[in-house]
Amino acid sequence: MTFRKPATKLGDQLPRLRTGSRREFLQMAGGGIGGLALSAMLTDETLANGHHPAKAKRVIQIFCPGGMSQVDTFDYKPELEKRNGTPFDPDGKLQFFASKPGNCRGSNWKFRQHGGSGLWISDLFPKLANCIDDMAFIYSMHSKTALHGPACFMMNTGFTLPGFPSMGSWVTYGLGSEAEDLPAFVVLPDPRGLPPGGIINWGAGFLPAERQATTLDTSNPHLPIADLFPPQDFADASPESDRDGLDFLNKLNQLHRRSRSGNSQLEARIKAYEMAARLQLSAPEVTDLSQETSAIKKLYGVDHPEIGPFGRQCLLARRLVQQGVRFVQIYCGAENTTARKIRPNWDSHEDLPRDHGYWGAVLDTGASALLTDLKQRGMLDETLVICTTEFGRQPAAQGGKALGRDHNAGAFTAWLAGGGIQGGVGFGATDELGFKAVESAAYSYDLHATALHLLGIDHTRLSFYHNGIQRRLTDVHGQIIPQILN
Amino acid sequence: MRRTGVVHRYTTYLFLIFAVYCNQAGLRADKPTVDNIDFRKLIAPILQQHCVGCHSPENKQGNLSLTTFNDLKANDFVVPGSPSTSHLIDLVSSQDGVKPEMPKKGPALSEGDLRLLSRWITQGARWPSNAIIPSPPKSQKTWWAYQPLRTTSPTDRDARLPVSNHHPGDTQAAAQVIDYWIKAKLNENGLSMSPRADRQTLIRRLAFDLHGLPPTPEAVESFVRDSNPDAYRHLIDRMLNSPRYGERFARHWLDLAHYADTHGFERDKRRDNAWRYRDYVIDSFNEDKPYDRFIQEQIAGDVLWSTNEQATIATGFLAAGPWDFVGQVETKSPELRRSTRSLDLDDMATQVMTATMAMTVNCARCHDHKLDPIAQREYYQLRAVFGKVKREDRVINDTTLQEYQKIHEALIAQLNKIDHALGRLEGKGLNLADVVGGGNGFGTGNYRDGIDARNAKVQTRDFGKLGNVVTNKFSPSAFEFIDGVFIPDGQNGAAVIPVSSTGITITGIPTTSGNAWDMIRNGPVASQHSPELDGIDFTKKGHAFLGLHANSGITFDLAAIRLASGDDQLRFDAELGYFGADDGSYADAWIFLDGENVFEFKRLKRSDGLQKLKVEIPAKTRFLTLVSTDGGNGFGMDQIGFGDPQLKSPQVTELTKVDFDRLTKLRDDRKQVQARLQTLGSPPRFYGLVADNKLPAVQLLERGDPESPSGKPLNPGAFSVLTMLNPNLGTTESPEGDRRAALAKWITSTNNPLTPRVIANRLWQWHFGRGIVDTPSDFGSGGGTPSHPELLDWLATQLAHHQWSLKAMHRMILLSNTYQQQSNHQPNHPAMNVDADNRLLWKQTSRRIEAEAIRDSVLFVSGKLNNQLGGPGFEDFNYQDAYAPIYTYITADKPELWRRSIYRYIVRTTPDRFLTTLDCPDPANLTAQRQTTTTPLQSLALYNNEFVLKQAGYFADRLKQESGPHKEAQVHRAFKLAFGRSATDEETRLAMDLVNRQGVFSLCRALLNSNEFVYVD
Repeated sequence: MTFRKPATKLGDQLPRLRTGSRREFLQMAGGGIGGLALSAMLTDETLANGHHPAKAKRVIQIFCPGGMSQVDTFDYKPELEKRNGTPFDPDGKLQFFASKPGNCRGSNWKFRQHGGSGLWISDLFPKLANCIDDMAFIYSMHSKTALHGPACFMMNTGFTLPGFPSMGSWVTYGLGSEAEDLPAFVVLPDPRGLPPGGIINWGAGFLPAERQATTLDTSNPHLPIADLFPPQDFADASPESDRDGLDFLNKLNQLHRRSRSGNSQLEARIKAYEMAARLQLSAPEVTDLSQETSAIKKLYGVDHPEIGPFGRQCLLARRLVQQGVRFVQIYCGAENTTARKIRPNWDSHEDLPRDHGYWGAVLDTGASALLTDLKQRGMLDETLVICTTEFGRQPAAQGGKALGRDHNAGAFTAWLAGGGIQGGVGFGATDELGFKAVESAAYSYDLHATALHLLGIDHTRLSFYHNGIQRRLTDVHGQIIPQILN
Repeated sequence: MRRTGVVHRYTTYLFLIFAVYCNQAGLRADKPTVDNIDFRKLIAPILQQHCVGCHSPENKQGNLSLTTFNDLKANDFVVPGSPSTSHLIDLVSSQDGVKPEMPKKGPALSEGDLRLLSRWITQGARWPSNAIIPSPPKSQKTWWAYQPLRTTSPTDRDARLPVSNHHPGDTQAAAQVIDYWIKAKLNENGLSMSPRADRQTLIRRLAFDLHGLPPTPEAVESFVRDSNPDAYRHLIDRMLNSPRYGERFARHWLDLAHYADTHGFERDKRRDNAWRYRDYVIDSFNEDKPYDRFIQEQIAGDVLWSTNEQATIATGFLAAGPWDFVGQVETKSPELRRSTRSLDLDDMATQVMTATMAMTVNCARCHDHKLDPIAQREYYQLRAVFGKVKREDRVINDTTLQEYQKIHEALIAQLNKIDHALGRLEGKGLNLADVVGGGNGFGTGNYRDGIDARNAKVQTRDFGKLGNVVTNKFSPSAFEFIDGVFIPDGQNGAAVIPVSSTGITITGIPTTSGNAWDMIRNGPVASQHSPELDGIDFTKKGHAFLGLHANSGITFDLAAIRLASGDDQLRFDAELGYFGADDGSYADAWIFLDGENVFEFKRLKRSDGLQKLKVEIPAKTRFLTLVSTDGGNGFGMDQIGFGDPQLKSPQVTELTKVDFDRLTKLRDDRKQVQARLQTLGSPPRFYGLVADNKLPAVQLLERGDPESPSGKPLNPGAFSVLTMLNPNLGTTESPEGDRRAALAKWITSTNNPLTPRVIANRLWQWHFGRGIVDTPSDFGSGGGTPSHPELLDWLATQLAHHQWSLKAMHRMILLSNTYQQQSNHQPNHPAMNVDADNRLLWKQTSRRIEAEAIRDSVLFVSGKLNNQLGGPGFEDFNYQDAYAPIYTYITADKPELWRRSIYRYIVRTTPDRFLTTLDCPDPANLTAQRQTTTTPLQSLALYNNEFVLKQAGYFADRLKQESGPHKEAQVHRAFKLAFGRSATDEETRLAMDLVNRQGVFSLCRALLNSNEFVYVD
């Protein structure tokens, strides 16, 4: 954290804050403050005001793993429609991830203009179409790789390799949490399984483990967070014995600390148990969706057998940010799953109408409900909603039935809403077929830089020393996209 | 810095810096052969290296800038055409042996540089108008880390004792030298050391440092009471001699190697042979392998000691990191493959250099290193060392493999004999699905293994539609009971299809599409619609499933089966069915005996349900052939399957007493053979590197972009910044192994100051929580500088004096008073105002133990720790094979899962949540130093996780067993086990109160959560 100004002059003696040195720094500066290491839940260690005034206070990010097709969803390409069935690559020079290109294939859904802005959106998203004037589209997103694992890592961490901190970790590293009794960074994976690359998509990388995401589980009201309570069938642990044990533990720790008063970490650890007890109250409450009205539940489609799981995650996300959780990431799709009915995510190689059809309906209901709900509660202004995927799909068809599309690192669409985003605008463009981003091509760096900017953070100054380098979410890149800001 | 495909903002800058290093690499000719001096290549680097550091617009000493030509020309510093009147030449030339006036800082210009400058001026001093000389990199070769080891001796006579190798007394003397340097710095700052910690504290500190485990109460007691003046030294020796030491220090090293047991990335596949490298590291520490040899083996042990198994396994180091199967193998896109391969080479090169020499060479992937004098070209020359190797499972060596296979085959033959005899006595049939899986028909086959109908090869991974199909071709199988396989196309009954190795054929099969899908499998085929029909799921326990997707055929050799089983009379039983979707698809199924059609079911579809087959087989019949064909409507969905396919004796005989005795004996024999197989373990393979000469030569990649290779293939090389070493590691013609051997020797050369410095610093860090340099994997100018430079160099020197023995180094450090200081102090201790950070070591630093140490200590205290050494890792998860495999963690609640954490099967995409919460790092990272955080989630994990709760229960049971029914005795024992000390009266009172209210379990649970349990003083 290079932007936190030291409280005393002692800070000036530090040439650079390195791994693990923040605590030391605070000890130097303040002689040790109890609870200072609890910043996963406290804001005291982070910058309250950011580098500049923030438009967005919190983020909900929807991630659609597998590669959402831009030409079937948001990026209207009439020319592709016209060339339907004609060779995409007449010279046969191209080799995609898994195949040689088939013929051009127009959108599988009809595009229409919507809202006051008149932006185009396909019939795959009839409900989201109603929110179009709140959404800003980046049509010119592209990635450095067309491999799911590395591309997911890039979209989440700015690097194609595993081991780097995810955006949520960076944001909470920078800003901490507003919530006193909830984690700062929560991830809601698809209930069907993990995305390509697994859990480390939301890992803290080399940032301290306190920046890890916490996974919440709505389907387990007894245990929405792992280890929140002892297993129900564990006879020896009762609420009463839990309390008595904690009481004893506290006294024991106090005795231990008496002769070690120079070590402030001991007090921090004592406090952590108090905070854990608070979490035991707040987590079940926030995950209890039964408190919502039936109209809201219907809006999110929570009872629908297919759409419901994602709808519940969206609804939970709203409840979380309402409680001050800084960053919520929701996955719309999985990868490591044995579910065979459809593709486990947006990766529609063989039958895009089938698979995008399924996932499109899922995303349409959940995301539109989220935007609508946030807006009607007046929360959208301060909540940045981001929806992205790791790469796009080819305008050419794939497969024997020509119903699929192969991976395309050259172009995809991301959209943002709320939190200082100007609604109803599009930014950048792909070529006439939607094959490559040709106008204002944007990498994850630019999206991340823009999001951090809205959160009051200068992306070039949010850094952490690791093995020789001050690392950033945006590597050495990143341009804020002013065209989509309010 | 990792970056690709970006236009660089520093093109000019780069160009010039690049030129500097070209010169240093030998291009700076003393006798230039070119007539026209190239300013950019030859002059700019001289000015940059020697002048612009002080004479630049930012730092205009002497009111002069040499970044552009203006100032030089204006003041007659340079008079084009006339070196003799150019003031610059006077300033930088030595007059009568007196040091030249310039440069003030750093060495004088070389004769060659002077000649070049003169010639340049003579030729008219051409300075291209757009050329601006950038400031030199912040660090030049004068950076401390690149200098030779300095052997500054302590001025204190007593401390300057000669330190030789083996005599323990000398290690003691060496420890005094450590204290000397520490005290010197403390004195400078008006500080002094803290008192020595008491023995109880010391043994606990040592136990966690050296073993990652608490001491037993008995060990504490005996050490505290030991009246021998050498008690502490003996304790250190005992601990260093325990296998627990290697397990502990291997964890540190594997952090640097980013070791794990799966590939990582999208398809996080298993690396079941990776553990041999992990064991190698443990053994190396335990054997006190000389550190230089340890490094050499890990980089080139297979070349340098090719007959030494361990030295070969050591190279698993180079393959330890993540690897993207999809990008390396699966994708058809050459561009994506190149990009993946490039990152793979980066991973290898980076790992080697950060672990051994703390050089952040990967920052030179896209451009010259911004901070350190490492040229981009040099980085790629390092990559050229690994240019012809790739990561793969590798046989340790052929002899070992042959020996292994001989024993293995003999055991399997025994097992088969026993199984057949058992099968006959028990009336169990021979399971043909198991045979397809490579088994003996009684369950030794591999579930879901398959035989390729095109060529009879055994395959473990899933396939889809098969390419390169040749129909009606018989491929003989290597399996004893399988004669061979084929893909039929009846050509409207006309085709004569060979179905046996003896030339037997079948006819009368209809025309098929000639297509085939996946393998003939022991289990469902790829994308199996369902293995269930008529309410029976044939993948469930007690069932078997032979997946025979159309179009394919398989012939079993009944003669071989009769020979093995001893049964002459056989019957084929199975539940035939169409296991594809009920969507109108259908297929045909056929059975032949010696080519004679004995059964056919045409247009079999799901709704037809199971067909119970009982095919009597005449004693003379040699071949049983099963065939599926697509029914003429395409092969989609045509998942023919044989449920519970068995060959069994039709006669049921009553067992006699003799038979029963024989059964008992056979079952015992089977257990013994199985135990021997278990001991023999998996084949002698390890996850390492294999040579592949087809891999492209390594070129420099502009901006790090794999699509922008530039220049000629590079010679393998190291880094010229260490001027005492020769960076040349061979030529583009050098064999792959020689390159690695040369690198290994370069890194461990006796003149290399970085390698000993880096390991000395790591050892220091592993004992004090922080290194003398606090960036242990970055000794470049982006990292820290040593707090005690003389001490660091002295330690580094000692390493060579002690034949690179790490245990000798441990002894020195641990025997020092510096190490033995207490960590407790008053909060208002005056040193807190001067050095709150304890950089100067006026005390020991109390530390929270790492995630693995917490887990191991919980097991240790509960009495459940399983000390089994080595071998394949334990899997505290359920593994489910899928495109992206699924690893679902379970509560470790059985002895085989109670091994030390170092033996964990480490999964990259799905790390163990419990350990991750406790700060266990992501194995994608090269972790030089563990971080410690304190979070409420950690409190929840330790207080509520089922593993800890169960262990608290075992801890309570142990107390009852060891201390009897008296609660107070249990309380006392609990404190001794958990903290290595007796409970105080107050603690006893509080604990008794809790035990009386909630039982001893609650006490155990609380103790495992206490600060004292996880913090070491």
